[in-house]
Amino acid sequence: MTTTANTEPAAANQDPAQTGGPSVVVRDLHQHYGDFEAVKGVSFEIRPGELFALLGTNGAGKTTTIETLEGFRRPSSGSARVFGRDPFDQPAGVRERANAVLQGSGLLDDLSVDENLGLASDLAAAPRDADEVLGLVDLTDKRKLRVRQLSGGQKRRLDLALALISDPEVLYLDEPTTGMDPEARNETWKLISELKESGVAILLTTHYLEEAERLADRLAIMHRGRVHVEGTLAGVLAGWGDRVSFLVPSDVRTADLPEVDGAEVGVQARDQALWATYTVTGGEVADRAHHAVSALFEWAREQGTTLQHLQVRGASLEDVFLRVADDTAGTLPE
Amino acid sequence: MTTTTTPAPVRGAARTRTAPGWFRQTLRLTRTEFTLFVRYKTAWLYLVMPLVLFMPLTSVPSTPAFGDFTTRDLSFAAAVLGIGLMLGIGHPSNVFAARRESLVLKRLRVSGVPQVAIFGGVVALVVLFTLLLAALVIAVGGRVPADPVLMLVAVLLGAAAMSLVGLLITPLVRNAESAQMFSMVPMLALLLTGGVFFPLDLLPEPVRMVAQFLPVAPTAEMAQAAYTGYDVFGGVEGAEAVGTAALWTGALPAIGVMLAWIVVLALLVHRYFKWDPRQP
Repeated sequence: MTTTANTEPAAANQDPAQTGGPSVVVRDLHQHYGDFEAVKGVSFEIRPGELFALLGTNGAGKTTTIETLEGFRRPSSGSARVFGRDPFDQPAGVRERANAVLQGSGLLDDLSVDENLGLASDLAAAPRDADEVLGLVDLTDKRKLRVRQLSGGQKRRLDLALALISDPEVLYLDEPTTGMDPEARNETWKLISELKESGVAILLTTHYLEEAERLADRLAIMHRGRVHVEGTLAGVLAGWGDRVSFLVPSDVRTADLPEVDGAEVGVQARDQALWATYTVTGGEVADRAHHAVSALFEWAREQGTTLQHLQVRGASLEDVFLRVADDTAGTLPE
Repeated sequence: MTTTTTPAPVRGAARTRTAPGWFRQTLRLTRTEFTLFVRYKTAWLYLVMPLVLFMPLTSVPSTPAFGDFTTRDLSFAAAVLGIGLMLGIGHPSNVFAARRESLVLKRLRVSGVPQVAIFGGVVALVVLFTLLLAALVIAVGGRVPADPVLMLVAVLLGAAAMSLVGLLITPLVRNAESAQMFSMVPMLALLLTGGVFFPLDLLPEPVRMVAQFLPVAPTAEMAQAAYTGYDVFGGVEGAEAVGTAALWTGALPAIGVMLAWIVVLALLVHRYFKWDPRQP
C-alpha cells in the first residue's frame, strides 16, 4: 500500500489556497446597518500558515468583518471569499473547513466538557482526537464538569477546543483569550503559534496588543469602519519612528534643546522634572536612532553635560493604536 | 507500506472532507436535545401542561355523537393533538431563544452544522416526546384507536408543524423569558381554533372554514377519524363508519394541508430565523 499525501488532485473549485494562494480574501468590503455604515471599504488577505490580526477600538467594525467571513452577513458591497467561495450562509465546501472562537462563549451549560466536545466531534467532518485537544487546552482534569461549573478562562479554553476539534484550515479568533489568567494566555499563545506553523490561516481580533505583537504576521488597525494602518508588525512600527528620551539638564532651557535631522522634539513634565523625547522618523530605518543619538551625544559634550536616564526605544503597537484611536482629523501617515 | 508526506504541508490542501451528512447530524443533535431536555427542569413543564387539557374531559357532560362514541371521546381524540401543540410551540421557542442569546446556535453554524440539522434535532425531539406522551394518554384512555397508523401520522404532522411555529417565534422575541410569554399567544389561539378546547362545529361557519385551514384543525380531525374509524372530515353530524381506505381518502385533504403548512413554516423559519443575539 502506498500513501501519498501530496499528490492527490486538487478539488475543482478553484481554491487559491490549493496552489499556495490566500485562503481568505476580502476586497473593499462595506457593511451597512440601515443608515449606519459599520465597515467602510476593508481589504485584506490571509494565506495558509499566516496570522492576520485585526485590531481596533470598540465598534470599529472588526466583529462585523469576521461575521461576514463566517457567513452570517452578506456584504453591502465589495466581496469576501474563503477558499475562493462566497462564505454567505456557510455553503458546503467552506463550512467543513473553517471554524471560529466567537466573541461570546457559545457553550451548552448543562452539558459537561466531554459532552460539549463529543457533540462537536461527532458533527465534524474530520475531527481530531478529543483527548488530544482537551490536553492542548489543559482541560483534561475538568472533563467531567458541567460547563456552568467552569471559570471564565476555562470556558474560553473550551471554546478554543471546540474550534480545534474540527481541524480547521481557516480559523477566526474573536478575542480568544478574554478572561484567561496570564499563564493560560501564554499557553494559548503557544497553541495558536503551533496552529499557524501547521498551516492554518488565522484571523485574530484582540484588545491585548501584546497578543498581536506576539502572534501576528501582519496586522491592521481599524477605526470607525476603516483600516488606518496595515502591514507587518515591523513595517507598521517603522512608520511610527524611534523614540529617544532623556532628562532635560536643569541648566538647559527647553528652547535651547538641539534640533536633530529627521526628528521632532517634545517636552513633558514628569516627577517635577522635564523630559525631552525625540521622535525619529527620517532617514534609514535601521540607522536613524543611531544618528539621532550621535547628534545628541555631540550636543551634550558641547554643553559639558550628560544625557541622564537616556532611553532609546522603537514605537510600540500601543503608540500606534492610541494615535489611530485619537485621530479625528485624519492626520495619520499612510 | 510506503508513506510519503509533504515536508511543510499546506494544511488540508490535498484532503477531501465529507461531513457526516445532515441526517446523521440531525440524529446526533436529537440525542443531545434529549439530554438537555431531561436536565432542564423547566422543559418538563411542557410535558405536564398538555395533561391539563384532559382534565375537563372527566367532568363535562357527555352526549352520544355517533355509533358508541360520545362527544367526550371526540374531545379526547382532539386533545391528544394538544400535546404536540403545547410542547412544539413551547419548548423550541424557549430553548432556541436561550441558545441564540448564549451564542450556541451561532457556534454550531460556524463549526459547519447545516441549519436543517440544527432545526431537525429539536423537531425530532418534540415529535418523539409527543408520540410517547400521546401513546401514554391513549393507553390510559383505555381504547385502541380504530386506525392507529392514521393516529400516528396525525400526531407526527401536528408535532412537526407546531415545532416550526415555535421556532418561528424566536426571531420575534429578545430572550427566553419573552419567548415563554409570547409563545402563549399562538398556543392559545391554535388551541381555540383547532377543535381541541371545543368542537369546531360550535363555531360560526365562516370562522370554522378559516380554522380548517390553520395547522391544527386538520390534525384534530384526523385524530378523531383515526380514533373512531368514522369519516368526520365533513363534520361530526352524519359521520359514518368507513373502512381504512375510505378513512385515508377522507384524510388526504387534511394531510395535504398539513404538509403544505410544514413546507411553508420550514421556509419561513429558514428565511427569518435570527442567529445573532445582537439586534442591528
